[in-house]
Amino acid sequence: MEQLINDLKLQIKEALHLEELSLEDFDENTPLFGEDGIGLDSIDILEIVVLMEKEYGIRMSKPKEGKAIFQSIKTIAEYVQENRKK
Amino acid sequence: MVYVLSTNITAPLGFTTEQNYRAVRSGVSALKRYDGLWGLPEPFAASLFNEEQKASLALDGYTCFESLAIHSVREALSHTQLDVTSPEIVLILSTTKGNIGQSPSEAAQRIATAIGLTTTPIVVCNACVSGLSAQLLADHLLSAGLYDYAVVVGAEVQSKFIVSGFQALKAVSDEPCRPFDIERNGLNPGEAAATIIFKKEDTSNSLHWYLVNGAICNDAFHISSPSPQANGLTAAIETVMEEQDKSELASISVHGTGTLYNDQMESKAIQRAGLSDIPLSALKGYYGHTMGAAGVLETILTMRATDDGIVLPSKGFTELGVSGKVNISSECQQTNKISFMKLLSGFGGNNVAVLYSRDMDCPSLISAPRCKSIREDKRFSIIKTHTIRISSDQGKSLTDIYKQQIGNYPKFYKMDILTRLAFVASELLIKDMEETQVPRLICAPLLQRVQEEPAIILFNHSSSLVADRQFLKTISDAENFFPSPSVFVYTLPNITAGEIAIRHHLCGETSFCILPEKDETLMQQILEVTLNATNAKSIISGWIDAESETTFECELSLIEKE
Repeated sequence: MEQLINDLKLQIKEALHLEELSLEDFDENTPLFGEDGIGLDSIDILEIVVLMEKEYGIRMSKPKEGKAIFQSIKTIAEYVQENRKK
Repeated sequence: MVYVLSTNITAPLGFTTEQNYRAVRSGVSALKRYDGLWGLPEPFAASLFNEEQKASLALDGYTCFESLAIHSVREALSHTQLDVTSPEIVLILSTTKGNIGQSPSEAAQRIATAIGLTTTPIVVCNACVSGLSAQLLADHLLSAGLYDYAVVVGAEVQSKFIVSGFQALKAVSDEPCRPFDIERNGLNPGEAAATIIFKKEDTSNSLHWYLVNGAICNDAFHISSPSPQANGLTAAIETVMEEQDKSELASISVHGTGTLYNDQMESKAIQRAGLSDIPLSALKGYYGHTMGAAGVLETILTMRATDDGIVLPSKGFTELGVSGKVNISSECQQTNKISFMKLLSGFGGNNVAVLYSRDMDCPSLISAPRCKSIREDKRFSIIKTHTIRISSDQGKSLTDIYKQQIGNYPKFYKMDILTRLAFVASELLIKDMEETQVPRLICAPLLQRVQEEPAIILFNHSSSLVADRQFLKTISDAENFFPSPSVFVYTLPNITAGEIAIRHHLCGETSFCILPEKDETLMQQILEVTLNATNAKSIISGWIDAESETTFECELSLIEKE
């Protein structure tokens, strides 16, 4: 799980071009959306949807599902662990 | 004021305005489901030309996109006596993606040459609102007396590029779209070309339709999500209706894409502007979203329906699924009114409202336009009050400039090269201006902001070719097919202006024009007619071209009325 969390942090930082965010700035519980967190937006959600398919073979057809799953790195990791195809 | 001299619609439902109108009138839709087309893994519904139609439109030596536009313009011209070689005719091409992989300006030149036009063609590339932006530019150029006629052609051909991009944005439905309906789940891509030929004045008293006025307002909210309060569209509608009587409107021809967010936003704007009672007509259930053609095609159909005394039914609509109070129906309604408003909204935060009226035969109805032909003595000349030039010759990359002189805007790293250049240049320009010269009016009423804050009009030659290549990389390999939604959005060059609007909360007009070369005179004319015909007091404008982080050139100025 710890490995998966680290992989996800790196993958999300790269896919979303979060250049100014250092990996120490956020942990697995930091909210990804909203002002208290990293502040991702609606295109970022869709970009994570692409990442899910590319890296883990998970196809998410309903973008609405995304918002609940993509709360934090931890919630994503749990979802990936349960649904990953690769 | 400018009059409609002639029109054409070339679409899967017919190759003339009449054929199209008759098809729509009898309830026919061109939307079909496609599964596996272009190797796309997900099915989609779309309105596409069939092979037979494509063959009959194809012209030797021209792309499908160019052939389609040429057909539409030629058919519209065939109803007129115009001498196309006259220096008094300008061609304005409206498209979102034109020929993928080439500058749309090159397509515009080939279209102009094929038709025999001799003046420099202008491409308006404002994403989904292009078709109305192009009509307003035509209005401004003719009203200022720079040309006598404008040929506005909107065209779009669908491709793997566009469809995969919208699918990555989860915006495409695999069923016919259902504008404003509770079950709506996305848009359908559509192919078409549509042409309106405008005439400066009506000397013969035989023309009926004229463009009363229009407005372009930016949400200054997000590059691909509409303002939840519908700020930009509300401001555009209110600007247009400021001195008009809403009870004279036969209908509002809405954008109505069938996506969750667009239709919801539009309903809010219509309610906020006090137009809840006006019948709405959403036409994308017949043609899908024809993108660069949509504004022209839907204007023509609404005009034709109003001539016939009807409001066209919104195909695909059954039960209201938006929170704003609106009057929309799947049934045909009668009307004896002779004005209508056309709306569009799109990526980059743009919203446009245009008001049309037909009052030559019933002059007592809607009041005369506010912006009639601008008399010579009333015209402002314009001056550049601040200018900033940056180029790669100065030895710094765009990221270097950002890090050293700007910073603290993480979104910079998400932007494509062209947008980074526009962003960096605008930051330096605004820094260079005294604080007081950029009005900070965030709390002021919307309409005041639209007037006081600078508009943004950017130009270049190559459109967004670098971003196009980047997106193509994500879709060219079937084994590694992962279209990136954010890269796709940045393949729309007007996002450059949208990002500046978002950064500085500017709610005025934002536009992107593509020219064959850096033609200072033509650029100056476009800026001058825009400042003269609209409420804007100043414009941030310039030429931006970027090949890479280390190969770019930009000159950006603040233009004001002298």
